[in-house]
Amino acid sequence: MTADSHALTTSEHAPVAELAHDSRGGIGTPILGMLLFIASEVMFFAGLFAAYFSTRAANKPWPPTEFSEILNPFSIILVATAILVASSFTCQFAVWAIRRNDRRGFLRNISVTFILGVVFLLLQAYDYSLLFDEGLTMGSGPFGTTYYTLTGFHGAHVFGGVIMLGVVLYRGMSGQFSARHHDAVEAASLYWHFVDVVWILLFSLLYFL
Amino acid sequence: MATHALSPVAAPAARGWLYGWLTTTDHKKIGIMYVVNSFIFFLIGGILALVVRTELAQPGLQFLTDEHVYNEMFTMHASIMIFLFVIPMLAGLGNYVVPLQIGAPDMAFPRINALSLWMLPLAGVLLVSSFFVGGAPAAGWTSYPPLSLDGPLRSPGAGQDLWIVSLILIGTSSILGAINFLVTIFKMRAPGMTLFRMPIMVWTVLVTSVLVLMATPVITSALVMLFIDRNYGGHFFDPVGGGSAVLYQNVFWFYSHPAVYVMILPAMGVISEVLPVFSRKPLFGYKAFIFATAGIGALGFSVWAHHMFTTGAVFLPFFSLLTFMIAVPTGVKMFNWVFTMFRGQLTFSTPLIFALGFLTMFLIGGINGAFSASVPVDFALHDTYWVVAHLHYVLFGGSVFGVFAGIYYWFPKMTGRMLGEGLGKIQFVIMFVGFNLTFFPMHMLGIQGMPRRIADYAGDAGWNDWNLAATIGGFLIAVSLLPFIWNVFVSLRSGKVAGDDPWEANTLEWATSSPPPPYNFDHLPEIRSERPLFDARHGRAEH
Amino acid sequence: MSSTPRKRPAPDALVAGGVVVILIALVAAVFLSGLGSSLYPPEAATKQAGEIRGLYDIVFAVAVAIFVVVEGLIIWSVLRYRRKPGDDGLPAQTHGNNLVEVIWTLVPTAIVLFLFVISWQTLNSVDTVSAKPDIRIHAIAGQFAWQFEYLDANGNKVASQLTPVYDTDTGAGGMAVPVGRSVQVTLDSPDVIHAFYVPRFLFKRDVVPGQTNRFEFTVDEKEAGQVFRGQCAELCGAGHRSMLFNVIALSAADYDAWLQALIAKSNATPAPPTGDVVLNLTAKDIAYDTKALEVPADTPFTIAFQNQDPAGVPHDVDIRDASGAVLANQEPINGGTSANYSYQGLPAGTYTFICSIHPVPNMTGTLTVK
Repeated sequence: MTADSHALTTSEHAPVAELAHDSRGGIGTPILGMLLFIASEVMFFAGLFAAYFSTRAANKPWPPTEFSEILNPFSIILVATAILVASSFTCQFAVWAIRRNDRRGFLRNISVTFILGVVFLLLQAYDYSLLFDEGLTMGSGPFGTTYYTLTGFHGAHVFGGVIMLGVVLYRGMSGQFSARHHDAVEAASLYWHFVDVVWILLFSLLYFL
Repeated sequence: MATHALSPVAAPAARGWLYGWLTTTDHKKIGIMYVVNSFIFFLIGGILALVVRTELAQPGLQFLTDEHVYNEMFTMHASIMIFLFVIPMLAGLGNYVVPLQIGAPDMAFPRINALSLWMLPLAGVLLVSSFFVGGAPAAGWTSYPPLSLDGPLRSPGAGQDLWIVSLILIGTSSILGAINFLVTIFKMRAPGMTLFRMPIMVWTVLVTSVLVLMATPVITSALVMLFIDRNYGGHFFDPVGGGSAVLYQNVFWFYSHPAVYVMILPAMGVISEVLPVFSRKPLFGYKAFIFATAGIGALGFSVWAHHMFTTGAVFLPFFSLLTFMIAVPTGVKMFNWVFTMFRGQLTFSTPLIFALGFLTMFLIGGINGAFSASVPVDFALHDTYWVVAHLHYVLFGGSVFGVFAGIYYWFPKMTGRMLGEGLGKIQFVIMFVGFNLTFFPMHMLGIQGMPRRIADYAGDAGWNDWNLAATIGGFLIAVSLLPFIWNVFVSLRSGKVAGDDPWEANTLEWATSSPPPPYNFDHLPEIRSERPLFDARHGRAEH
Repeated sequence: MSSTPRKRPAPDALVAGGVVVILIALVAAVFLSGLGSSLYPPEAATKQAGEIRGLYDIVFAVAVAIFVVVEGLIIWSVLRYRRKPGDDGLPAQTHGNNLVEVIWTLVPTAIVLFLFVISWQTLNSVDTVSAKPDIRIHAIAGQFAWQFEYLDANGNKVASQLTPVYDTDTGAGGMAVPVGRSVQVTLDSPDVIHAFYVPRFLFKRDVVPGQTNRFEFTVDEKEAGQVFRGQCAELCGAGHRSMLFNVIALSAADYDAWLQALIAKSNATPAPPTGDVVLNLTAKDIAYDTKALEVPADTPFTIAFQNQDPAGVPHDVDIRDASGAVLANQEPINGGTSANYSYQGLPAGTYTFICSIHPVPNMTGTLTVK
């Protein structure tokens, strides 16, 4: 072995190299991990969307005549959409707040985001019950199957996001975040924005196009 | 909150050796457990193959008089081999080797690494349990609907659902592993290790991880849709309800074609580590090799419908052209390997011998695949034993021989002991002969008209002799595993002590003890090329 | 640190070289003994198969050439570049060679483009379907048997062949086609995916429920009188291995006679029951409505059989004895039709009545004869 002064050494009592903060610059490790995870989720929805487009192209008329008016965008679902979009704003406000070490502003905004997320889920569930009463089920031909599958998996991802926000809220309330250390907040907000973008696409596709 | 000083020296084993292994987040232990778990499923999948071959040795139904049971056998054989053996085995070798080769102390997310590992035996138990809850799935590992949907004469019962759930778990484990590999490779390389100084093994794991990340979620979506059709009255894939059977095939193969590159690229990485070391020359065309690997990864996403040429629902010229094109980067790699050996100084240790077996078998597998790229020829060959020959030449002759090359090469690093060379060579000879005896005749069977997935065949079709030969070969393969298993046990106990670098190798994992300490490295040599250890040994002038 | 390299390369190289030589000797033996002919497809029976065979031969030649070149280089390297005792210095550390690398990228690209172009040309030729084929046949693949409906020029059914397998003793069964004429086959399935595969046509096409595939072929004149094997080539369940059929090539005159006979049989009124003993049996949802029947011994009897499954799902009622031997082999009837099956008298004992197409699980029962 060359006794090279450039060689990297660990001394006896130094801890294993820190992983959470990239001191050499560049994107933080947990952020990169979350972005890659979001990429995989995009591909999951891509598979579902591909199935939707293919199914829709092969089944005319679409929507089928018995369901031609059932997906009305100007109903409770529009309120739910507005709430989800608003929650992305409050989420971003929370990120900006913690970046400037404004802990109170961060906590306020993250709580609002969390609550808005829960409200979205409740409105979605309520909307499902209305549609169910009007006769649209998972078994209502390809139309029903694709509708509930796409919106259902989106809802499941919102639920996962709500849990993430809950964990972030809890950790925030116990003072674990600062301007220098808040990777989890950045990561959770990236996920939350992703969930919102998917909804905007879904809502446009299912209700308008 | 109280803080505690961290110490790299582990606390004395107060809770026992087993607890240490079960709760570890050390990539080296996790990698070894991946390898052991995968090997167990290799044996289970192999026994299922022997059941299939025993039934097919002669025309007539000998002992599997219920054809449905035969269908379960090959369905489970393939599902276990693909999802519980090859993919995780290569992930496990990567798990062990990649952090060491880039000079990192561990993977980026060690706890998620452990989670990825433990999902596998759980998923395996779920899948195998299908035998005991009313029957294993029997619609082939491809599980095409409508056959894989619910209903009489289709796939009623829990078996197909357990298959779906098991595969979703395995897919999730893979995706988490891919995220781990990518973040580790991008963020935790030692100083001086630029991307174009990484070992090829790391590059192949990188490209494989991109494929896993982007393709696996698509099969998750297909499986989810199949589950909905089976259990919630969905209409994705059943034509009677307005669905499309071909839609499933498209979504399924969009993953399953890149999956075959997931199954071969890390094995190619192993070969690219072994050949230079045992030829005493660098890998010929290092950069071209990397671009070829990336090219295969990218092209691999564009050819999926070549599995569907006979459906009448595919834009044939596009997929045929791109399938032919994949031969070009694959050929580049083949030539790079051959010219690494050319004008080298070859030492025929067992890793090199398995690498040579890989080269010949993968060459045959690549060539017979080109036949299927030609659409009219594929009309004759699709769904016949020709395809069974092709897939085993690339997956066994390629991936499995590559796995054994990797095991013989890195066993000394993992355990501090050498595997016996004599037993290794005996394993190779029996396995090589057995493999070719099993699968070469399948070319003949396929082109002469024997379809796949049939429990029995007509005695007057002229297929009897080749089938018998294939069965004998299959049992030879099984026999070849005995010297291997014996070798492992004997070597663990009393194999030759390996030392840091028994092979006079080039890459960083050999710059630390065998086995390495928990944090991997006390010192790292200077990294100025893709062969840092070679440079340290011979000086830069000789590079 | 590094251990001294092993100094016994020669015996190891001999092992490696020996194995390779044995393999090559085996392959050579296979070809020289004539077994190697089975690496080629069976003799093409149609015009389209002839074109595919020509393409296969070219691909095969290119494949063998590439194998010989690359494997030759591997074997050469193994034999020539072994590390010998005294080889202490490193060999030349060649990292690459731009010219050589460009050549082995461009030449394979040219080869695969050539293969693609000739494949595409052959595909366009064999995959064409004409607007007015000479013969139209509609093949229905169900679990687990084939049916062939013969159509007139307007696509209307004139005859049904419910016995897909040719019986050499009786000459009945199979899908007859005239040689030298274009035959267009449309494919349909009421249940799962199947595939129509005839090895001597070098051809198969999937039968996908919900989608009607179609293809065309012309059997060569010289094949008149030949019977070709065919079978389902897409896993379709627990009867997949038995989904056999035959294609029978006939001269134009023989075909016309064959078709007339089939038309007559398809239009014939069902035979009335014979004798006094008449049992009723219905098939629905791939199941008989009873699993137990009784007849007196040594008395001919009739089963008035109704197939209430959809069209495209044929059934029959065969009788087997305790050892599984078939005592009465009836012709299947299509879904939505009925027939009166006549049976000869049986000695007292226990027999099985069974549907030959769907034997398990629900289309079998016990026939008690006392």
